[in-house]
Amino acid sequence: MMQGPSGPATIVATTSPVLRIGGVFKRFGAVTVLDNCSLDVAEGEIVTLLGPSGCGKTTLLRCIAGFWEADGGSITIDGQDMARVPVNRRPVGVVFQSYALFPHLTVARNVGYALRMQGMAQAEAERRVAAALETVSLVGLEHRYPAQLSGGQQQRVAIARVLVMEPRVLLLDEPFNALDAKLRGTMQVELRQLIKSLGLTSIFVTHDQEEALTMSDRIAVMRGGRIEQADSPNEIFDRPATAYVADFIGSSNFWPAQVVDGQVALPDGQSVASALQGPVRVMARPHNLQIAPPSAGPWTGKIVFQRPVGPLIETHVETDGGGVVKVVAMRRESERAFAHEALVSLHIVSPALCAVYPD
Amino acid sequence: MAVASRTPLPGAHGMGERIVDALLSGRGIWPAVPAIIVLTVVAVIPFVILLSLGFSDIEVSRGAIASRTFSLEYIANALTDPLYWTTFQRSMTLALTTTALCVFFGYPVAYLYLVGGRWTKRLILVLTIAPLLTSGIVRTYAWLVILGGRGVVNSTLMGLGLIDQPLRIMNTHWAVLIGMVQIHLPVMILPLIAVMSRHDTRLMEAAANLGASHLGTLRTVIMPLSVPGIGTGAALVFTLSYTTFVVPQLLGGGNYLNAATMIYEQVVYSLEWSKGSVSSMILMVTCLIVLVAIALVTNHFTRWTQGRDA
Ligand SMILES: Nc1ncnc2c1ncn2[C@@H]1O[C@H](COP(=O)(O)OP(=O)(O)OP(=O)(O)O)[C@@H](O)[C@H]1O
Ligand SMILES: [Mg+2]
Repeated sequence: MMQGPSGPATIVATTSPVLRIGGVFKRFGAVTVLDNCSLDVAEGEIVTLLGPSGCGKTTLLRCIAGFWEADGGSITIDGQDMARVPVNRRPVGVVFQSYALFPHLTVARNVGYALRMQGMAQAEAERRVAAALETVSLVGLEHRYPAQLSGGQQQRVAIARVLVMEPRVLLLDEPFNALDAKLRGTMQVELRQLIKSLGLTSIFVTHDQEEALTMSDRIAVMRGGRIEQADSPNEIFDRPATAYVADFIGSSNFWPAQVVDGQVALPDGQSVASALQGPVRVMARPHNLQIAPPSAGPWTGKIVFQRPVGPLIETHVETDGGGVVKVVAMRRESERAFAHEALVSLHIVSPALCAVYPD
Repeated sequence: MAVASRTPLPGAHGMGERIVDALLSGRGIWPAVPAIIVLTVVAVIPFVILLSLGFSDIEVSRGAIASRTFSLEYIANALTDPLYWTTFQRSMTLALTTTALCVFFGYPVAYLYLVGGRWTKRLILVLTIAPLLTSGIVRTYAWLVILGGRGVVNSTLMGLGLIDQPLRIMNTHWAVLIGMVQIHLPVMILPLIAVMSRHDTRLMEAAANLGASHLGTLRTVIMPLSVPGIGTGAALVFTLSYTTFVVPQLLGGGNYLNAATMIYEQVVYSLEWSKGSVSSMILMVTCLIVLVAIALVTNHFTRWTQGRDA
């Protein structure tokens, strides 16, 4: 689906991480918002934080940027502990969800802000501002105020503004939220290419799965203040480490089963190996299931719902054992041959791709 | 749902309906008509009467005008009389100094409000608003207790052995200035707080993220954005302190003559209503000039708020 490296091993193992988040805690009163949260981000890597609302994504970014102090654990950048480094000294650039452009400064002065604060010579600063504006294709708008820009242009200014200071780590908190769906799509691709071409180490927050799959080298799925799994998009999708991740990313079918002699019997008669013991939950993606005439197998049920989803067709089958199973297949004549309420049998295409989780 | 119809059919409506239609249309000057009527009655007419007094030679008896004739005498006198000149100069200096000091003392308080925690904010708000709930006269009298010969300031200084005779603070222009600043400080702080609390706190975080120190953020982000608040506060403080009567009268000990006390004497004691009218006009015109100046300066520093003019 995208050009990123295929597995986590190739990214993490080679160089020491630029950003290392080690067991960070953050509490607000009695509420623990970050709960032993750990994540390493390698040089030039784009990691997406993905998780439901309130799981602590923004909080983690704010701790990295230094707006908030972590209550425990450590955050290091290039091996340097950030605990005692004040916000304005951290090599971190933040693109805010609302962009937070300075309304009283022109585009050029917004972009040059960090350089002025560093006391850089004006000629050099102007050269860099011009270069940054060029990078984000904003040439010609230097003398506009933010209120005179469209949402997409404002976002580019916000990005150019942090790019000029050449941060070691770039943090983006839902940068596309304020854009309409169409612009969002193009900006996602553009931004990914830009960040990749500059080789910036980045953390990107979203709760949109598609966006995460488009933007990231790795996706870190967050749950209740900790990272549940951080892996490449393909790995996350094909081999979710926990039932939570499987449920959160893409759609999935779960059913209970038992491990007997290291094997889990699947309802269609096949089986899958598992190192677990006792009662488990088995997960199969809808595209890993197939529908056949009722006589073809032991796992049977009745079609209760069918709908086209683009080039696919989604079918819900109520199994004889109770429970509804979701099946997705390419729109082929044979798949559409099954009428509503028809009796069918279900088959697992590839048992090895079924995941087994402790119950 | 349309408000009646914006263009009534000719002849279909009566006169009354057409007027109501126009008033509700939301177009042009019509929605302002009720306000214009009220202002005409309570402001414009009295103002014209006042103005006319300044151009007349009148005789007042038993609180009413007995006779009047047209005359430019009072205007001419006022413009050449050195007493007017020194009095208005004193008022202007006092008001401008008060305004400047209110900005000087008020701004840090508002900044503290902006960056402070919940309790700091509450404390500042209570301390700012509480004085407004008491009468200005009462607050001014309180200064008598503090600044008087045996007042808090003098007894403390003497108790510490720093002075052996009470300082004469009361009835000097210092007393007036201190009182003026204290009375008008809330009027400066409140608009500042109002404008500053509309600031997006993200802007300050963004500034820090981009490498600005606290001072840098204050200078490059907070101050430029609070210019409208400074402008509003300065306009209010200036108007109030330029035209104030109570503070100079009480803390100046009856011999501090500013524009308002002069007008009071002309109208109430010497019954020279025409003189009073001319003084009022000068007060109003000079006040307006300063207000326009404040507005121009404020606008200059807030050009960015003005539309698409790039
Ligand atoms: N200043 C604060 N005081 C108390 N609790 C807070 C504060 N800020 C955030 N929280 C709590 O911390 C939790 C995590 O918030 P956070 O903003 O990090 O979530 P998020 O993952 O970014 O969610 P979203 O996707 O909605 O942006 C929430 O339960 C929130 O209520
Ligand atoms: Mg958030």
